[in-house]
Amino acid sequence: MKHSLRCSVALALALCVGSASATEDVRLQGAQIDAAGPPTGLADPAALRATIFGTPPQDRAPLPPTVPLAEIDIRLPWARPAPDVFWFDRRLRVWFSAQEKPAPLVIVISGAGSDGNTSSMSMLRAALFGAGYNVLTMPSPTFPDFIVAASSTGVAGDLRQDSGDLYAAMQAIVARLPHRIRITEVDLVGLSLGGANAAVVKSIADAGGTLPIHRVVMINPPVSLFASIARLDRLFAVSIGPGDAGIDRLYRKVYARLANLYRSSEAVQLDDTDFLSAAGAVLKSDADFAAAIALTFRIGLANVFFAGDLYAHTGVVTDPRHPPKVGDSLEEIARELRNKPFSEYFSKVFVPYYAAHRPGATAQSLLAQSNLAIIGDSLRSNADYFAQTNSDDLILDRQELSWLRTTLGSRIAVYDHGGHLGNVGERRQIADMLDMLGGRWADRNR
Amino acid sequence: MKLRVLTSALLGLLAGCATQSFSMRTLPDETPAADNARAVQRAAAPAPQPAAAPVTAADAPPLTTYDPWERFNRFSYRFNARFDENILLPVADQYRRLPGFIRAGVHNFFSNLSEVPTVLNDALQLQARNGATNVGRFVINTTLGIGGLFDFATRLHLARSPTTFGNTLSRWGVHPGPFLVLPILGPSTLRESVGMLGDYGMSYGVNVADLYRGDQAYALEVVDGVDTRANVGFRYYATGSPFEYEIIRFLYMRKTLLEDETLHPQGRQKNADRKEPAGR
Repeated sequence: MKHSLRCSVALALALCVGSASATEDVRLQGAQIDAAGPPTGLADPAALRATIFGTPPQDRAPLPPTVPLAEIDIRLPWARPAPDVFWFDRRLRVWFSAQEKPAPLVIVISGAGSDGNTSSMSMLRAALFGAGYNVLTMPSPTFPDFIVAASSTGVAGDLRQDSGDLYAAMQAIVARLPHRIRITEVDLVGLSLGGANAAVVKSIADAGGTLPIHRVVMINPPVSLFASIARLDRLFAVSIGPGDAGIDRLYRKVYARLANLYRSSEAVQLDDTDFLSAAGAVLKSDADFAAAIALTFRIGLANVFFAGDLYAHTGVVTDPRHPPKVGDSLEEIARELRNKPFSEYFSKVFVPYYAAHRPGATAQSLLAQSNLAIIGDSLRSNADYFAQTNSDDLILDRQELSWLRTTLGSRIAVYDHGGHLGNVGERRQIADMLDMLGGRWADRNR
Repeated sequence: MKLRVLTSALLGLLAGCATQSFSMRTLPDETPAADNARAVQRAAAPAPQPAAAPVTAADAPPLTTYDPWERFNRFSYRFNARFDENILLPVADQYRRLPGFIRAGVHNFFSNLSEVPTVLNDALQLQARNGATNVGRFVINTTLGIGGLFDFATRLHLARSPTTFGNTLSRWGVHPGPFLVLPILGPSTLRESVGMLGDYGMSYGVNVADLYRGDQAYALEVVDGVDTRANVGFRYYATGSPFEYEIIRFLYMRKTLLEDETLHPQGRQKNADRKEPAGR
């Protein structure tokens, strides 16, 4: 469920603002992860590597020389009042690339915890713009700016609720685009969790929305949201371990390797992009890759946990009577959050909130609702849903992958390698995606 | 009176723009094909050789960052975010509408002026070779490059290697000191802030073409600031996260300490230093 891992490894380490203690060597042992049914790719070195490094530049699809870009900030009337500490997130930020002639619009939805302008999103934007589309890239409903500016609950993670807010935001944005931009039809592409969101958005639109959605391509979607999240929680437990000790050990290892890289470098001032790519370059073993994936995911979703706790007044890491104020140090809260598995968000924030606000909702029903199966019939019968995934994607297990295959039939492309989002931008992935969006996929597979 | 008008205009701007319900801001075009070609080149470059005296995990500074001025820093960070969004970025956006060759000329001009403190710092760091290169760059670009508007030196394979008074202090063992967020200028450390003053002092002292004295000095600083902002991609609160201050502080201090490693090629500073919280 993560992407832009290549640049976010250093960022992930950034929230490691905690205490140091003893070190012990924990190795990644695939067999330990889930004896009952290991997810297909969790211990697969190639999948981990692809997930971290992404598509090598020489394997990328041809990209256009220039892509125009505008940043749109929009205030949405249904957003709940922003908590003080989120003062900078009151408007939703999305990115738009406009064609000069009338053209179809593709709206791309980002993966869990990410905004609409990550490196993967920018690669998709370029490929789609180059193929003649207007392109709008949007954050995931789990990105803090979306939670604050566009969510009607502030408690992210409910597939239908989030997708409904996403669809409402899309309608508001498209309605306010300048008149010179002429849109002939609207298609959706979603990365990871954004793929599941995209599919549910189309089902909502088909049931009678004002902005018709034609085709949808899901790239590496989850099937059960919380099962995929549990898998990443387990990856954290196995590769990093509980408490701050594991995070401290990983941080020290990465720091020492970076220091040696810097000492051997002649350049006195490395710029920021060098710094971030250097942090990625010092990851060496499978255990490093697994730890980086797990930590990046954990840090990314710390915002979801924090925001949800504030909006739902559940008091897990914040005091509902004395919420943190602008200017307060959040270091202690950050430390607490990075030691909490995401399953705790589900049991202590998500379930209590929705159980109180939705008649009849229980933990079981909420779990069942956050699953692509809720639109299983449409996925089976409607020829406008498509998916691309990899047989070694680490957020899916075998049953989920085969459910996707049987549900979508010939409308899914399953590649042998790529891990989770590790082949986004690759020639074949892009060519297939464009065929799916353009309505040429069925002819090709006849 | 003048000051009061200016202040209220400033406050109006700071409060104003973020309340609009819809705004669309044109960003510079992305250049994916060229970016990818560069990435292919970088991927083919040889990996750097590991250092002779390796740093070990035990030498890493602690996860916690020493931040005695946190209250001020957080205030300053928020002020900067608003100032950037409502004043600096809109001005930089307008500036970017100028033809590329004019902006390149302005950028080269300021870059050439900064060779003056660079050369003095090379001398203070006893870096004879870099010093000679940078003197060469300054002479070539000031003459052939018409006052620094063109960067001929880089084309003649004299690559830019800027260094600052902050680097000089680091070279002679001055520790970075606490994290410090400077108003408008952004994240820094005590040492880097002193370094900036030092560099400005050097430019002021040498006073190339009388640019640093009198009213033209103000104009010079403003244009320099706008040029710098127009060339930096950083956005405040792009993470969307309320933990952004913690993130930036952590990354900035680790980056500062890591850069110190390149300035101490002959060996590590005493390990005792490293046991203290980062940045002390």
